[in-house]
Order: sequence, then structure tokens, then C-alpha cells
Amino acid sequence: MSTAAPALRRRPPPRVSGDLPGDGHMAEFAADPISFFTRARAECGELAEFDLRGQITVLLTGPDAHEAFCRAPDEQLDQGAAYEFMTPIFGTGVIFDAPLPIRNQQLAIQTMALRHHNMRSYARVISEEVRRFTDAWGDSGEIELVSAMTELTLYTSTHCLLGGEFRETMSAEFAHLYHDLEAGLHALAYVDPHADHPLFRQRDAARVRLEAMIGEIVERRRAADTEYEDALATFMKATYENGSRLSANEITGLIVATMFAGHHTSSGTAAWVLLELLRHAQFLVPVVRELEDLLGPAADMTRESLREMPRLEAVVRETLRLHPPLNMLARQVLQDFDFKDYQIEAGKRVCLCPYVSHRIPEVYPEPERFDPARPEQDSVFTDISFGGGRHRCAGSAFALLQLKSIFGTLLRRFTFELVASPETYVDDTRAITLRPHTPALVRYRRKG
Amino acid sequence: MRITVDWDLCQGHGVCMDEAPEVFAVEARTGGYPRVVLLQEEPSQDLRRQVEQAVKHCPTRALRIVGE
Repeated sequence: MSTAAPALRRRPPPRVSGDLPGDGHMAEFAADPISFFTRARAECGELAEFDLRGQITVLLTGPDAHEAFCRAPDEQLDQGAAYEFMTPIFGTGVIFDAPLPIRNQQLAIQTMALRHHNMRSYARVISEEVRRFTDAWGDSGEIELVSAMTELTLYTSTHCLLGGEFRETMSAEFAHLYHDLEAGLHALAYVDPHADHPLFRQRDAARVRLEAMIGEIVERRRAADTEYEDALATFMKATYENGSRLSANEITGLIVATMFAGHHTSSGTAAWVLLELLRHAQFLVPVVRELEDLLGPAADMTRESLREMPRLEAVVRETLRLHPPLNMLARQVLQDFDFKDYQIEAGKRVCLCPYVSHRIPEVYPEPERFDPARPEQDSVFTDISFGGGRHRCAGSAFALLQLKSIFGTLLRRFTFELVASPETYVDDTRAITLRPHTPALVRYRRKG
Repeated sequence: MRITVDWDLCQGHGVCMDEAPEVFAVEARTGGYPRVVLLQEEPSQDLRRQVEQAVKHCPTRALRIVGE
């Protein structure tokens, strides 16, 4: 006797409680997205549906959910609409505002700029920037770690992406423009990035001026016909499949996108790596020893010398688990999305929250315990510090190289200690990207 | 040994190509990311160390060695 399997009756995801008429869950989400997502999973489990002023979104947490999200084709789960709020910052027709075939070509060009081959010179550049930056520190003192790392990674990113010349002549104006673009990221932007708001007007003015600045540099470079090896050179040289080059708008957009993607994500992580090392001396000592063994006084800070740093890498991995920079990775559902016995209908959105996923006790026992010796997970989709799938962070290799380069230099030149009690250093989950709450003060002393 | 590629993960970074150019190449693709091309699906044992390095250093962990 044969029986056909009964048709699976899929149900919609469970809904988080507490949505208010009109606003939905917006107030709670905007006030503290991490707390909200924590409550959502606690209440609903693997899938948790919520409402942001009419935009229905489903939070997916857990390795199985991550894998389904990451493996779904772009035609089914689309980044475009989910990141529409970035369009005024990146530019019209750039990345998420471009149709899929164009977008994929732009992303491929961005990946090209960050690819392995270009890493060769970055390690040395970054170490020199760290040395230069810390030369101004004197023999001892106290620093606010987040602003220090934010400034340092602005220099390292700019140098690596736009070249040494730009880095030297980088006017205060560029930093201000970049800051104005960032300030345009506000919870309101998620719902209506074109609303009439002073921050948005400032953002738009900054974008116009930045394109003019970069346009000038592009013209100058083309006229001078000099060979450069930075990301800007890659963007200027690249062509679409139809043979056309990127416009000044598109080049500006890719530069902004690349800097955005890698700035506060890296600086927040760098700050947390140091803080976690300082409040767990049992891990700091072997890391310093590893660095001193690998990088003697005449250290060759090239990519090769930084490749194998297992203790530092384990510390970085565990730091990212506990303090993943991005609160939310979102997609627009274009085709009905089935997961286990649920269905998420087209028109809704789905999102991942690394912070919550990385604290699931069944996956990470004693989740709040900082332990670099945790065994690596079997599935590549469990740890989503860098996302996963074909849209996984294209800069992850650069990010790790940068962290190794920064700490390879910092921890050999200085000793550090916390100024405040260890437990007072906590996440600020409301910043652009998650980072330590400021002021995050540390004391330093230059080594003999 | 046999090499498998998880095509949902490959982004064409080219680390594999740098580590073992006899085994891996990265090629442009129409409408999408560049992707790895396996020049040899079952490379000989003398390439094992290089292939292991390629697998280990792939930024997206898209590569796997199966079998001896």
C-alpha cells in the first residue's frame, strides 16, 4: 500500500506580543533593538514575527535558520529593499539601489578591490599607521579606546582604500563629510530615509560634496596616468560586462560603501578585543607571548608574517561572537519562503540578529562566558559575525588582517590596563554598529 | 583526495588560487561574482599541503577535502 505524504500545511510564524496600533513594535525596537530581539526569541523561538509601522519582519535565530537565510537565492530573499535606507548615503543606482544584475557586478568589483592579492601591502601599511598613531601617545597616559580605534581605522581604511597620497592630504573636510553621512543613519531612516529631517538634509549635502571631491581625484589620476594599487584604482579600472566604466557617482558609492562597511565594525571590534583581553589576563599573557615569538624586534609585518596567529585569532573570534558589530541583517522576501513547517509570505522581511543567535545556550553553553577555547562549530552558518552565504562580508579577510596588524604592534609596544572596573565595560547596542559604551577608558605604558 | 566547493559560499576571493594555482583558478562570471574553477578535482598527494592551505584560508570556508 502506498500513501502519498499529506500536503504540509505551513503556518505563519508566531507573533511577538506587545504591538501597538499603528506603531507596531517600533517604539521598543528603536529604544533597544537587542533587548527587543532577545525578548522576541524568548517568546517565540526560532521564528519571531514583528511589526515596524506596517513593515512585517520575521526574526530568524539559530544555525538552521541562518543556513536557510544564507542559502536562499537573491530572487527569493533580496537585499535591495531591505537596505533602501542606505541609498541616500551610497548614492542612487549604487549597490542596493541597482537592479540585481548591475548590483552583482558592482559587488564583484568591490570584492575584487578587497581580494587576497591586494592584501600584500596592507599589513605593512596598517602597522605603520599604528606606529605613527601611537607615537603621539608618549610614554604613558590614558585614552578613550573607542574614539582612538575609530580614528585609527579611519586612517588605515583611507590609506588602504584610497592610497597614501589621499591619506596625507585628507582634509578635515573628508572626515566631516563622512561623519555627516553617518549621522544620516537614524531609526527613522529604516522607515522613510527621505523624510524631511535636518540630519537627512545634512547627509544629502555631504553626499553631493563627497562625489565632487572624489570626482576631482579621479580626473587628476586619469590625467596623470599614474599606477596606483588601492581600491580606488580598482574601481577606476573596472568595467561592467558591457565594457562601460563606473561613473563618478558609482565610484563614490563604492568607496563610501566600502568605508562604511569596514569602519565602525572594525573599530568597535578592535576596542572590544583589547577590553576582553584586559579583563581576562589568562588569555592576554599567551597572546602577547605568541606575538612576541612570531614578530621579533625586526618583524616583517607583511601578510605572510601575520597569517598564523592562532591564539589572537581565537580571541578575535570569541570577541566577535559576544560583540558582533551588526545588530540586524535583513532581506525582503520576494518569493514565499518556507522554513520547517512555517511559511513567510512574499512582501514580508526576514532578519538575523547575530547578538541573540550567538547566545543560544544549546549552541554555545554558558553563552556569556568569554572563552576563546570554545570548540569551532561544525556548520559555517552558526557563527554569523560576518554573515554568511554569497553575501558574507567581503572584507572579512581585510578585517582580520587589520586586527592582527593592529594588535601585533600595540601589544608589543605597550602594556595596558583598565581604568574602570571590568564589569562596567558594556555594549552600546544603539550606536551605528555595536561597540563598547563610551567612555571606554584604558591606561597605557610604553614598554622599555 | 577530492575537493568539493560549496557554490553558495564562494565569492571568488582567490586565496585558493594563490595557494595552489595548479588546482584552483578564479574566473569572472556573467551577472555574478567571480567563482573558483577546479582545474583538478582530484589532485595528486604531492599537492596535498597546498590544497590544505587553500581550504584553511578560504575566507568563506567554501572548500572541503573529501577522502584521502
